[in-house]
Amino acid sequence: MASLIPCPHCGVRPKEEFAIRGDASLVRPDPESSDETWNDYVHIRANPRGRYREHWQHVAGCRRWLVVERDTFTHEVFSVTDGSVRAWEIGR
Amino acid sequence: MPHQFQERHALEELVSMNAAAAADHLAVVARQAIVVVLAAEGQEASVAALLTADEEISVRFSAPGEWLVVTGLQTPELLQQSLAALLRETAHCVDQSHGRVLLRLSGANSRAILAKGIGIDLHPSAFVIGSSANVLCGHISINLALVDKNSFEIVVMRSFAESLLHDLCEMGRAFDLSVFFAP
Amino acid sequence: MTAYRLSAGGLVDRATSLNFTFDGQSMKGLAGDTLASALLANDQMLVGRSFKYHRPRGIVTAGASEPNALMTIGSGARTDPNTKATVAELYAGLEARSQNSWPSLKYDVGALNGLLSPFLSAGFYYKTFMWPAAFWEKVYEPIIRKAAGLGRAVLERDPEAYEKCWAHCDLLVVGSGPAGLMAALTAGRAGLRVILVDEGFRHGGSLLSETTPIDGEPAAAFVDKALSELATLPNVTLMARTTVFGWYDDNVFGALERVQKHLAVPSSKLPAERVWRIAAKRALLATGAEERPLVFGGNDRPGVMMAGALSTYANRYGVAAGKLVALFTNGSAGYRTAADLAAHGIDIAAIIDSRADSTEVAPFGTRVIRGGSIVDTKGRSRLSGITVERSGFEERIDCDAMGMSGGFSPVIHLACQRGAKPVWSETLKAFVAPDVGAGLRLAGSAAGLYALAACLKDGADKARTIASDLGLLTSAAHLPAVGEETTASFTALWYVPGARSKAFVDFQNDVHAKDLGLALREGFGHVEHAKRYTTNGMATDQGKLSNVNAVGILAGMQGVSPAELGTTTFRPFYTPVPFGALAGTSRDEHAAPKRVSPLHGWAARNKAVFIESGLWYRSSWFPRAGEKTWRESVDREVLNVRENVGLCDVSTLGKIEVFGPDAAEFLNRLYCNPFLKLPVGKARYGLMLREDGMVYDDGTTSRLSDEHFLVTTTTALAGGVMSHMEYCAQVLWPELKVRFCSVSDQWAQMAIAGPKSRLVVQALVEDDVSNAAFPFLAAKAVTLKGGLKGRLFRISFSGELAYELAVPAGYGEAVADKVMDVGRMHGICAYGLEALNVLRIEKGHVTHAELDGRVTPDDAGFGRMLSSQKADFIGKRLSTRFGLTAADRMQMVGLKPVEKDKDIRAGAHLLREGAKPSTLNDQGYVSSACYSPVLGQFIALGFLKSGRERYGEKVVVWDRLRGEETLAEICNPVFVDPANTKLNS
Repeated sequence: MASLIPCPHCGVRPKEEFAIRGDASLVRPDPESSDETWNDYVHIRANPRGRYREHWQHVAGCRRWLVVERDTFTHEVFSVTDGSVRAWEIGR
Repeated sequence: MPHQFQERHALEELVSMNAAAAADHLAVVARQAIVVVLAAEGQEASVAALLTADEEISVRFSAPGEWLVVTGLQTPELLQQSLAALLRETAHCVDQSHGRVLLRLSGANSRAILAKGIGIDLHPSAFVIGSSANVLCGHISINLALVDKNSFEIVVMRSFAESLLHDLCEMGRAFDLSVFFAP
Repeated sequence: MTAYRLSAGGLVDRATSLNFTFDGQSMKGLAGDTLASALLANDQMLVGRSFKYHRPRGIVTAGASEPNALMTIGSGARTDPNTKATVAELYAGLEARSQNSWPSLKYDVGALNGLLSPFLSAGFYYKTFMWPAAFWEKVYEPIIRKAAGLGRAVLERDPEAYEKCWAHCDLLVVGSGPAGLMAALTAGRAGLRVILVDEGFRHGGSLLSETTPIDGEPAAAFVDKALSELATLPNVTLMARTTVFGWYDDNVFGALERVQKHLAVPSSKLPAERVWRIAAKRALLATGAEERPLVFGGNDRPGVMMAGALSTYANRYGVAAGKLVALFTNGSAGYRTAADLAAHGIDIAAIIDSRADSTEVAPFGTRVIRGGSIVDTKGRSRLSGITVERSGFEERIDCDAMGMSGGFSPVIHLACQRGAKPVWSETLKAFVAPDVGAGLRLAGSAAGLYALAACLKDGADKARTIASDLGLLTSAAHLPAVGEETTASFTALWYVPGARSKAFVDFQNDVHAKDLGLALREGFGHVEHAKRYTTNGMATDQGKLSNVNAVGILAGMQGVSPAELGTTTFRPFYTPVPFGALAGTSRDEHAAPKRVSPLHGWAARNKAVFIESGLWYRSSWFPRAGEKTWRESVDREVLNVRENVGLCDVSTLGKIEVFGPDAAEFLNRLYCNPFLKLPVGKARYGLMLREDGMVYDDGTTSRLSDEHFLVTTTTALAGGVMSHMEYCAQVLWPELKVRFCSVSDQWAQMAIAGPKSRLVVQALVEDDVSNAAFPFLAAKAVTLKGGLKGRLFRISFSGELAYELAVPAGYGEAVADKVMDVGRMHGICAYGLEALNVLRIEKGHVTHAELDGRVTPDDAGFGRMLSSQKADFIGKRLSTRFGLTAADRMQMVGLKPVEKDKDIRAGAHLLREGAKPSTLNDQGYVSSACYSPVLGQFIALGFLKSGRERYGEKVVVWDRLRGEETLAEICNPVFVDPANTKLNS
């Protein structure tokens, strides 16, 4: 029926306003990186039960890409931050 | 040979000209100027300050560093020019006057009508006068603003305007919502 | 006559009589009745046939847990099967029909099943119908479907309207009985935004059948006072006829409001039902407790009811279920009912108390058999007596109705819908809800409190705690004074030994105690297995009455505590929700929004046939008088574009403006081909890849100024490309100074294509559009004659000399009309999506039919666009991986049937001549095909292994769907003007 995601820019919104992309911990490799590194980045995904960081886009709101940290089992949402903030943090 | 082109509103054939409005009323604004303002990096705060200081325009929040500027007082060209003069190099201004349709929903039941499509809390204590936000209404993304006690303004993409109008009429059926072009 | 309307009492309006029918028979009820109470008032105890054995069944409860009294209500398209008569509000003209009986309720052929019952034991589906396998679909299943089963849905289109709605509150109170009402009052007075929901058509819950006075007045008067106070509080919303059916993530509750299911003639302005999504900061479940049946021989005979239901029918509806009523109880509740009935002058045959040492006091003169049990019941389709056993002696006692009370189970369904497991309470002999967090609390009987005063207090206390949690301090609530109450107590009794006939656990699914034993013996003793094996607890009531008894019996047979056995899983919905209500308004044309092009009116005036394309309605072709088939129109449009000029609406393409000092760098990383050096005033075809090296989307990008670009996308991926660009800018390269904005809706865009297009465009715009001043791929702002500003692009999808003109959307139609006007002397025609498709296939241009996610740039013939100069772009690294560079990859080719009159269709596969069709022999496939009026034959684009080396070779086009094989010649995919002379003219 519904889940509510607290968008850091727009406030609490129903999940229908968002699109999910998946694992937010991935860092796009350097173009010179090995086949394995690129294969991992593009194709390999864990599907963990429990705490997980995902990229969600607030498509019907601010259109920002957000990092939603949630529990994939209980769907408890721990934090929602702007994706670019996260991108800067991980050393880009 | 110069050509004269007649402008056509997206809802022209669906909505009649102004007549007596019911207690709950949806006014379709026939002409407005709407510009998307995108602040250049690092200029978000100064752009916001300049925009909010301008009394001729209404500023609607879209996203961090991004606003819809709405006015019924200026033509699209004039608005574009005045914003360019106001903001200079600090922002990019994109004319959307033709790309958006402006609707004004008012009446004591306006919140009850909108609650049929909008998931955010519209209680006067939660969504106060002057608030604005991009939200989903049914299947359609809109920008919603509370401009007066019971009066909301909706900005919707032109291609979706007809569907949104149908949805709003359906949502307002129980309240005998009337729909006319704004005088 | 046995059941009858009492001469006085109850909350029914005796002045308002309502006519209704049951199985075609006219009956009368009163305003305030449920269908069940009205049926009882008409002495209609027999209401249905059971699921499996077709046994006669009567009304058992007075609420949502009813397993038997399922009716089909309404007529024609407005027919609802499986409606519980016990909650259906009576209205004048209501038409009810019994279910699962043929030819009639009284004489049911299926009752033979009862004789076959040894073969219909638990797991019978799995055993009986396993062999022979072929019989299942053709023989067994249709028979079972016909014989078993509940009501039938009608096939007519549902004429009702439905809708969905959001609500927000500080506190949602579910249930308006004593606890719920006090909670709402307390929280409402404290200023919380409260929503009080009740599934009944009248607020008050158990208070409506309560006989203990409150503040010296009847309980119903207390309810009225409380409701009128709540109605004056603007922060309180009262919702009756509303069932909260689910508890979802983040404390959002789903509720179904039956807006006008109780009206014979519904208002056309309102929906029949409404689904609410209620986002509540806190919720309080005051859902009460469910009385448990007793599992004894013959306990399904019509006339055997829940003791509490007997009280409710008498106290609230003024209806006696019988003239002489027996009670079978394992606790104090049976005595309470006896007192209630006696107060209404109903004779009590006896109270049979399973406890030998009980001390409860029965109404004066009532016979009490302590330490007794019922082993059988008598009567055909109506109870006439019971066989009571005590200390080895049996006695027959006459009665025409009886009440059973097996203790209470708190209604904790909602609290356990999100994974929390119910906890066994040894003191309460019931499963209770565990702590599920501050968002949801339980109060009153739902929390295991059974005394009225305790429930009132608990509701008030819990609401105060919630108010203070939310930062609102309240003073202690005034608690109403409650008259004298007996302490509620009972001992557990899961199964009454010595049953002479079937002792049912689940009435709705015809599961009796022996079925559970069989399940256990056959290895299905786990509670979840037993449920599936016996069907106990399935279907519309989901075991509201039966589950706890089933658990008790299974636990007893295994010698463990119910705590060890646990319960089956609670899931939404608490009670059934119609599909229509879940769909709301999202059906038919409202299922998805319709996007309208700014040139829609122009196309309609030119008699376009429209086609759905994603959310858009695009003009497909423009038939003219005398054209009998779409092909005639399309052929004409194509030839006219090739010979003269045509106008096509291309407004639906995605248009994204890109700004900023790093805009060029951003696009250079986004596309596989270079963009840094694109000159201002020029457009360039760009190909976007996915990170895995496959083509994602294509389009032209124009540089409007140094730091200002206009990207176009395909119609289909306009939204996807925008999101992709946002991801790249925000997450991958936040260091790039770039901003963008979709302008898809701002511009009406028209393709003006054909050798005479320049004449048309020049007649329209001030600027010089000659080949010298405005060569192929020019892209500039222009001024139309008369001053309107627009944008002009010299780009071509058709392969002809062509322009795309963009003007502000509101002017689109007027400009398109003018284009037709000035083009008339040049033979202009409107052309649609079909002609556009033919034109682009003739020219070998790709769409998503080709770029289907499995195609690399090289496959599609764009290998040279991949920039090796660029350090990086999306898809660069994996473009070079093994497999994407193999020489035998399928490459795009053109195909022409060898015999000119043969056709080719998209989706067909390509085989070598003489090769057997198989995956191994597959050489490729046809992606697009059309009839080319220019070439006078069918042509196609396809992908073929090493295709570019094989021009001139012949392949078999194998169309399995139509069973056709056509020999085709492989050729260059550009069928028309391969030298681009027309394009550049």
